Amino acid sequence: MFGHKARPAGTAPSAGEALRLEDVRKVYGADGNRVVALDGVSLSLPAGSFTAVMGPSGSGKSTLLQCAAGLDRPSAGRVLVDGAELSGDGEAALTKFRRQRIGFVFQQFNLLPTLTVMQNVTLPLKLAGRRVDKARAREILARVGLGDRLGHLPAELSGGQQQRVAIARALVTEPRILFGDEPTGALDSRSARDVLGLLQEAVRVYGRTVVMVTHDPVAAAHADAVLFLADGRIVGYQTAPTAEAVAERMTHLADEVERQRTSGHVQAGV
Amino acid sequence: MVALALRSLRKRAGAFTASFLSMFLGSAIIMAFASMFDTAEASGATGQARSTLVTMAMVVGGWGLLLVVFAVTSTLTLSVRQRAAEMALLKSVGATPAQLTRMIAGEAAALAVLAALLGAVPGALGGRALLALLHGTHQVPGDVSYAFGTFALGTGVGVTFASATIAALITARRAARVRVTESLMAAAAEPGRLGRRRTVFAGVFLFLAVDEAVVTMTMMRGKGTDAMAASGQADIFAAIGLALLAPVIVRRATALPAGPVRAFGVAGDLAVTNLRRRTAAMASAVTPIILFTGIAVGTLFLQATENAETARSGVAATADQKGIATLNLVVIGMVVLFAAIMLVNTLVAATAHRRREFGQARLAGATPAQVLGTVALESAVLTVVGVGCGTVASLFTIIPFDVARKGSVAPDGSAWIYVGVVALAAALTGLTALGAARRAVRVPAVEAVTA
Repeated sequence: MFGHKARPAGTAPSAGEALRLEDVRKVYGADGNRVVALDGVSLSLPAGSFTAVMGPSGSGKSTLLQCAAGLDRPSAGRVLVDGAELSGDGEAALTKFRRQRIGFVFQQFNLLPTLTVMQNVTLPLKLAGRRVDKARAREILARVGLGDRLGHLPAELSGGQQQRVAIARALVTEPRILFGDEPTGALDSRSARDVLGLLQEAVRVYGRTVVMVTHDPVAAAHADAVLFLADGRIVGYQTAPTAEAVAERMTHLADEVERQRTSGHVQAGV
Repeated sequence: MVALALRSLRKRAGAFTASFLSMFLGSAIIMAFASMFDTAEASGATGQARSTLVTMAMVVGGWGLLLVVFAVTSTLTLSVRQRAAEMALLKSVGATPAQLTRMIAGEAAALAVLAALLGAVPGALGGRALLALLHGTHQVPGDVSYAFGTFALGTGVGVTFASATIAALITARRAARVRVTESLMAAAAEPGRLGRRRTVFAGVFLFLAVDEAVVTMTMMRGKGTDAMAASGQADIFAAIGLALLAPVIVRRATALPAGPVRAFGVAGDLAVTNLRRRTAAMASAVTPIILFTGIAVGTLFLQATENAETARSGVAATADQKGIATLNLVVIGMVVLFAAIMLVNTLVAATAHRRREFGQARLAGATPAQVLGTVALESAVLTVVGVGCGTVASLFTIIPFDVARKGSVAPDGSAWIYVGVVALAAALTGLTALGAARRAVRVPAVEAVTA
């Protein structure tokens, strides 16, 4: 469905590193009132993985996603997507970098209101100057369950349908890695399940890498692993998450952070 | 709700700039000409001088009035439409349509009074300059001194207040009628349909234009300079009539240049789609281009023919003729300035409103250059449509006057006049739209879509 046609369905591509962050820092504001959104985050995610990023509000999870996805520049540190370092000056360079490697799904869908479903899905290809394979776009839209809505405008669709269009749009360029910023945040539970199912399918069947920020333990449980973020730092990692385990850990995250901080202070004091 | 209106005016003055400027400039123009009546009364001028002054106050002020009502309605409609989400929010917390109407009308009324009072200063200065002009051309004796009194102030404030309130009521009725969920959707897709009232007004103005043109060609034939009075207004009526039809014209017209515009690749594709799906917003941008081109071209060629005919007749221009010539240029200067400011503000407001849309395109992989390219192509199409309609409107003045004055349809005057007006319209449209778009894409895309 989402993969190259040459690759037989069901086999993941050879394992490699899809995303690597090295000591990424992001600081906002002027000298007077600095806010450290990311405080030296390092991580490595293998290709074909589905990772959820969780953390309380203000923990820096959206900043992490934006820096990793080339929507924002870290103040320090390196970001490598599919082995290529995110670099270059200016928005145009970042945009071109993203086009080849990154797909993005937002909480508020961000479909262009004046374009039809079909036009929205083929837009990234047109913008990148790539050949527009309409048959393939139609096929992807059919797989997300919108094969009969090609000529509709976003305003004529439900939230769940709009998000499925957004997923189709993100996948049409066949990106190595797909980021989701609270992709189910504006959806009812049934639409949310559909969307999460599509993301899982992209990973399991076609070997895409998905990184999803969420605050919903149920959504996080659809991932293979969960990264916990607090105060701009990674404070925990959990594989094969269940909603209960994730919720439990979130509840005690504050205590955990406090414990790590005091132990850090003790070490520093020695 | 009135308190909310005042608060909203204070806290977000920027959103009202366009409406305020058109009210301010409009009231200044109206007062400048209306003060000629005060001058006539205060100085006790009689005979020719009095009739010149009173004519000036009534006739020329009348044009201004028409433009003010039009400009205020169009800018106010735009600013209210841009606040569709805010209106929906107010409704969702329990505001009734009547309360919304009071808020919108309250904002407009407060703005109008402020604008008109401030407009009195340039109005008085403009009136003084106007009288100096009349002195200079000996249409009014030098001992008639300037007066700025109750008539000017009353007319200026009254007309501005009334046109703003009426415009606000028309706008508010439309905004308040929409249901909560619809208002949010309406912000997304707006069809270029014409209301019945709009169609009727368009018909009335076009009829007036045709009427003036016919009167000029028949009754004014061979009457020389006098034909100017009748034919001079035809282009204004025609321009307003065509501007009212702009949504339909824009939609039809985008079908024609779609081919060449699409040749510019994805930017062209997006431009065509935007022009088709956002017809209402695009039409409000075309309106000032039509007025600007129609009135400027019409009046300049009218004067060119008049000058050429006077020269051809071999007699030196009389003081009266010179006066009219200068007056024509003054009027055109003011009207063109007015239309230009309206054009700039409409475009700035319309483009700033599209920040979210630009952000969405950037997140989908558009570089800033591609966004600006789309805006540039849209501006080009709008300019072509606006200049085309404006040129048609100007013919309502030029052809009848040429027929009446010299019995031929060919206008005098250099083609460069036309080229100059078109170049100015294109430059104003392009530079303003691109400048505003450039500012809009300077905001990080992620921020732009959440704002």
